[in-house]
Amino acid sequence: MTNLVYLVPLFPLIGFLINGIFWKKMPKSAGGIIGSLAVLASFCVSLGIFFEVKSLPEGTVLPPVELFSFIQSGSLNIPFSFQVDALSSLFLLIITGVGFLIHVYSTSYMHEDEGMVKYFAYLNLFVFSMLLLVLGSNYLIMFIGWEGVGLCSYLLIGFWFKNRDYTNAAKKAFVMNRIGDLGFLVGMLLVLLNFGTLSYQEFFNALPTTQVAGSTYNWIALCFFIGAMGKSAQIPLYTWLPDAMAGPTPVSALIHAATMVTAGIYMIARSNALYNLAPAILDFIAIIGLATALLAATIAIKQYDIKKVLAYSTVSQLGFMFLAIGVGAYTTAVFHVMTHAFFKALLFLGSGSVIHAMGGEQDIRKMGGLGKHMAITQGTFLIGCLAIAGIPGFAGFFSKDEILAAVYGHSPVLFALALAGALMTAFYMFRLYFLTFRGKFRGTHEQEHHLHESPAAITIPLVVLALLSIAGGYVGLPAVISEHHTLATYLSPVVSNIGAHHLSHETEWMLMGISVSLVLVMIAVAYNVTKKASFAPNTGIAKVLENKWYIDELYDAVIVRPMAALSRFSDKFVERAGIDGLVNGVGKTVRWGGDRLRLMQSGQVGFYIFVMVLGMVALFAFSFILTN
Amino acid sequence: MDLLLLATDQNTPFNYFPIALQLVVAIGFVIVMMVVTHLLGPKRRTSDKLINFESGIPSVGNARQPMAIKYFLVAILFVLFDVEVIFFYPYAINFAELGWEGFKAVLLFVAFFLCGFIYIVKKGALEWEE
Amino acid sequence: MKAIIAATIIGVVLMFTGILVKEKKGIATLAAILFFLLLGVNIWELSTLDANQPQAFFNNMLRIDRYSVWFNTLMTACTVLYVMLSGREIQKVGIHVSDYFALMSFMLVGLYMLSGYSNMLVLFLGIEIISIPQYILAGSDKKNLKSSEASLKYFLMGAFTTGILLMGITLLYGASGTFDIARFTFLQADSLNPMALCGIIFLIIAFAFKVSAAPMHMWTPDVYDGSPTPFTAFMSTVVKAAAFIAFIKLFHISFNSLSGHWTMIIAVITAATLLVGNVTAVFQQSVKRMMAYSSIAQAGFMLFAVLSISATSWQGLIIYAVSYTVATMGVFAVLMKLKDFTYDGFNGLAKREPLLAFVMTIFLLSLAGIPLTGGFMAKYFMLTAAVEQGQVLWLVIFALLMAAISVYYYFRVIIAMYFKQGSPEMSSPVTAGDRLVLVATAALVILLGVAPGLLLKFI
Repeated sequence: MTNLVYLVPLFPLIGFLINGIFWKKMPKSAGGIIGSLAVLASFCVSLGIFFEVKSLPEGTVLPPVELFSFIQSGSLNIPFSFQVDALSSLFLLIITGVGFLIHVYSTSYMHEDEGMVKYFAYLNLFVFSMLLLVLGSNYLIMFIGWEGVGLCSYLLIGFWFKNRDYTNAAKKAFVMNRIGDLGFLVGMLLVLLNFGTLSYQEFFNALPTTQVAGSTYNWIALCFFIGAMGKSAQIPLYTWLPDAMAGPTPVSALIHAATMVTAGIYMIARSNALYNLAPAILDFIAIIGLATALLAATIAIKQYDIKKVLAYSTVSQLGFMFLAIGVGAYTTAVFHVMTHAFFKALLFLGSGSVIHAMGGEQDIRKMGGLGKHMAITQGTFLIGCLAIAGIPGFAGFFSKDEILAAVYGHSPVLFALALAGALMTAFYMFRLYFLTFRGKFRGTHEQEHHLHESPAAITIPLVVLALLSIAGGYVGLPAVISEHHTLATYLSPVVSNIGAHHLSHETEWMLMGISVSLVLVMIAVAYNVTKKASFAPNTGIAKVLENKWYIDELYDAVIVRPMAALSRFSDKFVERAGIDGLVNGVGKTVRWGGDRLRLMQSGQVGFYIFVMVLGMVALFAFSFILTN
Repeated sequence: MDLLLLATDQNTPFNYFPIALQLVVAIGFVIVMMVVTHLLGPKRRTSDKLINFESGIPSVGNARQPMAIKYFLVAILFVLFDVEVIFFYPYAINFAELGWEGFKAVLLFVAFFLCGFIYIVKKGALEWEE
Repeated sequence: MKAIIAATIIGVVLMFTGILVKEKKGIATLAAILFFLLLGVNIWELSTLDANQPQAFFNNMLRIDRYSVWFNTLMTACTVLYVMLSGREIQKVGIHVSDYFALMSFMLVGLYMLSGYSNMLVLFLGIEIISIPQYILAGSDKKNLKSSEASLKYFLMGAFTTGILLMGITLLYGASGTFDIARFTFLQADSLNPMALCGIIFLIIAFAFKVSAAPMHMWTPDVYDGSPTPFTAFMSTVVKAAAFIAFIKLFHISFNSLSGHWTMIIAVITAATLLVGNVTAVFQQSVKRMMAYSSIAQAGFMLFAVLSISATSWQGLIIYAVSYTVATMGVFAVLMKLKDFTYDGFNGLAKREPLLAFVMTIFLLSLAGIPLTGGFMAKYFMLTAAVEQGQVLWLVIFALLMAAISVYYYFRVIIAMYFKQGSPEMSSPVTAGDRLVLVATAALVILLGVAPGLLLKFI
């Protein structure tokens, strides 16, 4: 089965080509069916691969499957090959499984849109790139996938490109990601320079034996983490993700919640051998992760756009994952990626169903009491909220509890802060739930009249994801219940879990008790707060939160405007006023004088040659300094 | 004098000392001469002295007149072919030694030459009047 | 050598075709066939050349090896592609169509000399053969003042640079008493002769002019903007590649051991070129002028090949030259179909001509260096070479930053085509043949991104 791995990305690629080439001529439904079937096919292959990897004897690592030689130059040989192992096969399942459900959902959600076939083409291309990202057996292939998902994200955020804000959001996402990519690229070059390879296996094997300066590990690890910051929306590069909600809701569910944004986690989990050698960077990651988790959670408390709340919640959850990585609990981070993919996709799709019913309205101040009209959406959304809040029995509980336990083992102070973040999560999620589904309807009469439950293509994925949001957690039972952690055992050949502290059973029960009881309290608080919600304009700290700590404004003032000013300066003064101005000034005066061509040109060329001569003199001076 | 001799032995920037010296002397000479003539010579300005001197003939009109582009074209073509003929001189001197091999080479050269000539004639570059 | 002879004869034949044949279309077809034949001659020469045994001609003034012939073959192939892409536009420039093709053929002669020279005189000859036709082509649209202006400017500045080049050659001759690039005696001396160092710097300056590197880049925007568009496409691609191979050949073969003296100079030039090209390109309103600045920026990347002396940089030069040439020719081919060369002229192209917009997107992605296109592999090779060399890591990071900026101005075109409303005016209808060639070119760009190894098979 593993030698058929090339089929996994091949199916979405074929889907993309068919939809992409014939998008003008194809009926809409055909595009949806082709798109969904392509992903379903690769899901089936992924399942086969998963069970084969699972049945391998413990500790075996399969060699990469080489498709063809990609770059061969001198001593450098980079094959186009796929790495099939526990980590990639798990991600394959998440991507194709959740991806398939979201494709099915989209067939109904996007049905009214005239660009539906194009939409599916982009979605297939995204799945293809994402699969390339997790399957590659070296950093270059990962980078190709990495850029590919960035491109698709750009295309899909700006899918409704007639709206100017949406295209700006798309541009913002692209630029922010490019900053991160730069870090990734530099990291790759450093690896190449110091180790002469980009292949994971060769690189990790060479790590303990190669003689390099100690700080090299730190630099490489830091550069990779900067890449992860961009893609996984961490401080300071997180602002693109909330804006990315401009795209269609299923896109937000697939790309900006379940899969693409977790690519950073995947990359670092994949490179765990490197990060274990760079403890300083791990600490840095933990701090950034925690800070992001807290900052995003505070912002989410005061947002009124249903998708914005979920977006900030995603940023916050990603922060938790990085926190787990920072304390060395890689497996736990991957575990949370998985459960988060289930419940966050569920929540986004549920919000899509709500937006659909509300006729495009996203403001929760105008919703309320929707539960009466759409029972399935309400029920599944509630399951999602319970899962993310960490109520025992639901998937989120297991993974979040594991993170908190690992953090406690690392430092109780960090634990306290992380717990605060988790409580805020419970609060804002239930605030969202109560405002949307409970109480009285606050919209117009016309909207109320149209309220209806969504069709089966939307509700079935919701139900499936809801089931997964309950069952998904049982692969990683806490140590107090079962000593056998299925997921950790499965991942052990690839991912070490140095951060797993063995807490005593009493401590663990105590931690669980504290967090669960406080979460329940927070839910009660949320219920009370929303009951008498007045939606008066916010003041003081609430206003700061509503405006997202003014981070966007800060970036605009500190980075964007000075950059624009610098470019404008160089255009206006250096290029236009300095060179063109001088030259055109001479030229124009003479043009009216009559004898225009000759003098205008002599003026210009003379100036050009003058610059050349200046350059020559500078170069001579430079080389003179160099030799002495 | 010893200083100058010494400088030629080694390969240092000092080698260029004589050149620099000559440069200084040349520029200095020009400046000194211009200044000195201005200071020493008596100055009598008359109207005859201020007009352009053109080989003793009174100047007529402005020298910067537009000219037919044909004139330049013919002039450039003349220079082109004139310069190429210069290649015959070294060949003429070594005519005997180069033998048939050289003869073939020159024949090829003339053939290319002729191609160019036919081309300009066919293109009408030498027709003075259209 | 066979190719040089063939190209010369083809040039002369084309010159006379103009006198005998008056029909423009016939001339263009003949030119395409003859260039195709020339490609055949190159392949023939490649197949007969022993990989380990370079051939020497004219008392060792010209030494042709596998690399140079393969480079010639690729560039001739690019020329064939170019004639197919923009043959119809060349016919529109003026009445002397056959002369334009003849001049291109002569330029190819110059290119073959520059890839194979082993003597400074041949280098000089090659550079002049490749430059003088450019002056003429730049001014070939005689009725257009901008075209004449471009031609005259280019000529004056080119003449100035020729002086500098000759000065450099003279100083090197003075320092070593030979023109043979493999036998400069000053290389054996313990300390570097200052005369030779001055000569090397003069040569760097002259080459910097030819490849339009800062601060000798000032002519580029005016000349590329003023010249008729099809010739801009040729000048900014094949000709530039020729200048680069001459550059890298001299500095890697002759001045390899002196790299301590010139690496930093070229590094500074590279940094300045990248900065000027990318930052100024951001603020252009005309796509044609943006492409002129973009060609400066791309030259900055190609300078990495000169900077880092290794097998990778030689390979990188071929990959960069080909992928840049193909993508740029594609961009210009699409540009020529439009009437308005400003960004606004592209508004809504995706609605009106979806295929044109699509291939244009691929070309621009390649120029921006997005993975799975030739441009990415090219930049990758260049930067890898520089990293291997190890001295200029700061420059690599700077170049990556500049590549990120370049995304902005390339994507502006994509945004205009796809996300803006408008109905672009076409200067000529897009025929089925155009579509076929454009799609093939785009496929080539992707192929180069997936399997760049193909280009290195025959070295």
